[in-house]
Amino acid sequence: MEHDYRPIEGNSRGYYLLLATLLFFVAAGFFATFWMVTHGLHLSGMTNRIPWGLQIVMAIFYIGLSAGSLVVSGLYGIFGKLEYKPFARIAAFLAMLFLIAGLLSIITDQGRIDRMFVQPFTHFNAQSMFSINPALYIGHIMICIFYLWALFKEKGRMTKVASVVVVLWALCVHTGTGAIFAFTPRELYNTALLPPSFVAAALSSGAALMILVLTSLFKVTRRYLDVTLVLWLGRLLAVFIIVALYVILIENAHRFYLIESREATTYYLFKGYHAALFWGGLIVVGSVIPALLLFNRRTGTSLKWIIFASVLVVLGVICERYLIVLPGLEYPPELIPGMEIVASALDEGTVRYAISGLEVLQALGVLSLIGFIFVLGLKYLPVLPTEARALGPSQMLKSMMGGAVDRAVARHHARAVERGHIIETLD
Amino acid sequence: MDRRDFLKTGGLFLVGAPTVYGLLAVAAPATGDRTGIGIHRWGMVIDLRRCPEDCTACLDACRHENNVALHGDPRWDIHWIRKVKIRAKHDEHAPERAVPLLCNHCDHPPCAQVCPVQATYKRADGIVIVDHHRCIGCRYCLIACPYNARYFNYKENEDWPNKKYPKRSHGVAESCHFCAHRLDVGDPPACMEACRGVRAGALTVGDLNDPDSEISRLIAGNSVKRLRDDLGTEPKVYYIGL
Repeated sequence: MEHDYRPIEGNSRGYYLLLATLLFFVAAGFFATFWMVTHGLHLSGMTNRIPWGLQIVMAIFYIGLSAGSLVVSGLYGIFGKLEYKPFARIAAFLAMLFLIAGLLSIITDQGRIDRMFVQPFTHFNAQSMFSINPALYIGHIMICIFYLWALFKEKGRMTKVASVVVVLWALCVHTGTGAIFAFTPRELYNTALLPPSFVAAALSSGAALMILVLTSLFKVTRRYLDVTLVLWLGRLLAVFIIVALYVILIENAHRFYLIESREATTYYLFKGYHAALFWGGLIVVGSVIPALLLFNRRTGTSLKWIIFASVLVVLGVICERYLIVLPGLEYPPELIPGMEIVASALDEGTVRYAISGLEVLQALGVLSLIGFIFVLGLKYLPVLPTEARALGPSQMLKSMMGGAVDRAVARHHARAVERGHIIETLD
Repeated sequence: MDRRDFLKTGGLFLVGAPTVYGLLAVAAPATGDRTGIGIHRWGMVIDLRRCPEDCTACLDACRHENNVALHGDPRWDIHWIRKVKIRAKHDEHAPERAVPLLCNHCDHPPCAQVCPVQATYKRADGIVIVDHHRCIGCRYCLIACPYNARYFNYKENEDWPNKKYPKRSHGVAESCHFCAHRLDVGDPPACMEACRGVRAGALTVGDLNDPDSEISRLIAGNSVKRLRDDLGTEPKVYYIGL
């Protein structure tokens, strides 16, 4: 099956307006970072008790997103699902950009950015997750570039080798990112389930984002996207959500059960705004509702509902990333077991993190920068396929979702014929 | 891709990745002895029975000696040594006690373990210290320290009372270093000197390797406690009467 890739024209006013808007936010982010670097990080919401904030949350969010994109890309490379080949390029391109975003978020968060480009290389600490991870990230970006090259040149065998390497490497990247937190002696951080739960949430958020990117890109560029492909991705997303939910629930049940960590877990799960983020944001809005929507035959076969569910999943994973970083810092370490500190010059009890405007600008700047590269890439790189067709009606989907699949395909088909995407019938 | 190809590529990767990592680890400069004069092993004993509740002599001396920043905002103030009041958990009527807290100079310091540039390291004499010219300000050490003893310079420090000792720029982490610059020339740390100056004598810094040193005798002759012994960090600050 041959696939055509045609860059977008990129001459419309909307296109240039989008580029200009993104550039504006890049400039704003650059300004915010420059201002903080010259005046000190007290301009962020971070303190001595909350040394990590929004930038770290966003970094691990972006890094997670890149995994899901790669899985979509790997559907073709590893599992040989030829009908997903049209997405392989754009998925690999996005995966690379999200890793760059993650790395940029971490770099802009440093107190001495000027030293970032020398010291980590000359004084590599093989024991530090913060040394190992950038090495993994940079390696990952380079493998992605190689993978993209193999895809662009249509190197069949090379593509398959690269896609296996890239997926295995991604697994290391996500395990390593989870280990940044898990490998510290801090309550609410040091759980061995954190790396797996990080991978699980990465897969669901990444798959959700791919659904959003693909459906919106094909719609905006008026290209044909076969609905069964999206239905199947939705199914995949549903499975990822269940896996992530399972790991997250068992992780918290474990630490709630053990007396030694019950107080911290009670604080995390049932007190303050965390409880709302966890139960409301992550569990209900981010996992249960989208899972129900995707498993339901009627909503699970409707493009609109799948897109809605994907938006919810992405929001849920943002909550999850926030919950990985902040509650563990806001909850105080037990300095003297059995005792509580009633007076101190330092804020010793539970504290709150307040995001500052400059941090938001930084985060927007990083996101806009990769958005800018992505939009430029659509114009100058052959990443976007002219169309994406399923090989035929998927028996597996049908056996799972029954007649609803046929009806969804028929609906979509009628609309495609109307728009001239399909001239001959596929059946 | 058939199974054979998958296994081959996977196997190659599984061998390759650790090899590359191992090479990097070997190529990195050794973490070991970054100075450390003689064969000392510095530690501290804090005798709470002799620590007056409202005395701040050690705190003030430390702040002055090491140019430790005080911005007047608890979010960003730096305390190499701080005094807290503690009481039994969940009991409002329990008696309160004052306890000085500082860097414990762990034998297995998590802060040094996680430092991505080896700016925080343990000297041969056991002092955990920061190279402020190397620190990139990632704040991972603040995350890893189980004692809340590490601080970050969120703001530029305007005060510079002791011109003999440098102050730090904003953007780097710091913590107590047992006044290594004083110990190296044979002087006691500023906190200990101040504590003796007010005739309290609660703080004793000395050589744990020397069985006849004052600190060794204090540890041998009293019931001592270390903070969060359970974590296995092997802290070198011992409390009497905690």
